[in-house]
Parts: sequence; C-alpha cells; structure tokens
Amino acid sequence: MNGWILAATVALGAGAGATLWGVATGPLRRRVVAQNLSTALACLVLLLLAQGYDRPSYVDLALVLALLGPVGTLVFARLLADDLAEDPPRAWGPTYLVVGAGAAVVTALCVATGPSRASAKLLVVGALLIGGNVVASRALSGGFSGLRRG
Amino acid sequence: MADAVIIVALLLVAAAATTAVLVRDPVRQALVLAVLGVLLAVLFTTLQAPDVGLSQLAVGSALTPLLLLLTVRKVRRRGRKEGPRR
Amino acid sequence: MTPRAAMRTTLRAAAEFLAWWTGLAVLWLILISAVGPLELAVGATVAALGALAARAARRAVTGR
Repeated sequence: MNGWILAATVALGAGAGATLWGVATGPLRRRVVAQNLSTALACLVLLLLAQGYDRPSYVDLALVLALLGPVGTLVFARLLADDLAEDPPRAWGPTYLVVGAGAAVVTALCVATGPSRASAKLLVVGALLIGGNVVASRALSGGFSGLRRG
Repeated sequence: MADAVIIVALLLVAAAATTAVLVRDPVRQALVLAVLGVLLAVLFTTLQAPDVGLSQLAVGSALTPLLLLLTVRKVRRRGRKEGPRR
Repeated sequence: MTPRAAMRTTLRAAAEFLAWWTGLAVLWLILISAVGPLELAVGATVAALGALAARAARRAVTGR
C-alpha cells in the first residue's frame, strides 16, 4: 500500500460516497449533477490506481471513462431536457471543485512520471476529463438549449 | 491494509446496487445504474481485471442508461397517445 | 470557377487534410504503448482515414 493507493482509497470513499448519496436522494437536478461528478471522480481514482499499481496500461481505463462519462451525462441532458427545463441544475461550484482536483492529480502524476510519452498521455486524459466535464455541466444547465431547438 | 481499497469499492458497489433496487422511478434508477456501472469498473480494476473493467465501462456508463431512457420515453409516449384508457 | 479559384480551393482542402492528419497522427503516437515501424505505418494509415472522415464531418456541420 503506497501513497497513491491511499489517495485513491480516500477519494473513492469520500467522493464516490458523496456522489452516491447525491444520486440516491433529492430532486432530479441534483441527481444528474451527482452522476456527472461521479464519472469524473472515478476517472481520477483510476488514474491514481494506475500509478499506485505501477501499471501504465491501466491509464487506458481512465481515458475511456474520460471520453464516455460526459457522453453518458449528455444522454441524460438530452433525454431529460423537458424535466430539467423547468428546474435547471446550477452546480458550477462542485464542477469547478472536481476540475481543480483533476488538474491537481494530473499535475502530480505528470511530475511523478517525468517528461515522456506517458505524461503526454496523462495530459490528454486530463484535458479530456476537464473539457468533457465543463461541456456536460453546461449542457445540464441548459446552455445548449438554443442549439437544440435550432 | 493493502486490501482497503478493495473493501471500500465493494462496500460502495453494494450500497449502489441496493439503492438501484430501492429507487422506484425508472428515470432515477437509470441515474443510479450509471453510477453503479462506473463503481463496478473501479472494483474490477482494484481486483486486477482491467479488461473486464474496460468492457464494463463501455456498457455501464453510457449504453445502459441510454437504453433505459429510450425505453421510458417510448412507454411514456404510448401512454400519452392512448390517453385515459390506461 | 476560374482555374485560380479552383486551385485555391484544392490548396485549402489539402491544408485542412494535412492539419487533421498531423493532429491525429500525434494523438496516435501519444496513445500507443511501444513505437515501432509497424505501429507508425498503421498510425499513418488510420490518421489519413480519420482526417478524411473529420473533414467530411466538418463540412457536413458547417455546410460548405
């Protein structure tokens, strides 16, 4: 058990526990935000585990999740648009929190890896994670509704 | 001590699965199922099975909620069309 | 269309294809685990296919 796995355990227990609580209770607008945040958090946990187990190929899982997580949230944003239009989610605080955590984790992993192709891959994953999360949050809060109608 | 992350992941999966059963509304169930799929992928990774986790991610994070929500939408539309007979 | 305009269109299309190809090839280089001649050949081919698809998609979206 090293520091990376310890950090992954803490992030999983606290973060995923909180998002699980958020997705299980409360109004629909809180649940979709919690679902979005859970994918970002799991992506960070997978990155930390890849470093902790010292298996660079495990980064592929985080890459796939960084791509597919926002896709899943966009599915919810599109198909629940009528329900969410009356009561749009406004959760930029948690989104920026997760984006900041993602930037911090990716930076730490890049420093640990050193400049190489592996760290470039980590940067790609981080960019996908942050960009996808911001786009998904914007879609959830109705930012693209004009586009959808037109 | 090294198994702590496996235990945490197992507990979270158990909690998410129980929640998915207890939530009654299919739309909210789809949301819980999406979280459950991602948590299962993390559990498979901690058990050193990343290939299983990869396929679980592909299916669980986007495909299962999409199928569920499309089904819910179709059923709702049909209910609205047939009106008060149902 | 005058020959000059036609040539300009062709040049612009070639430049766009090249830009997409460069980006996709670099992405391929970053994501593979081991660099070898076979990987490079496959990457160049796949990047070319992807660049064609990306240009078609971009034209379909912007409508030009």
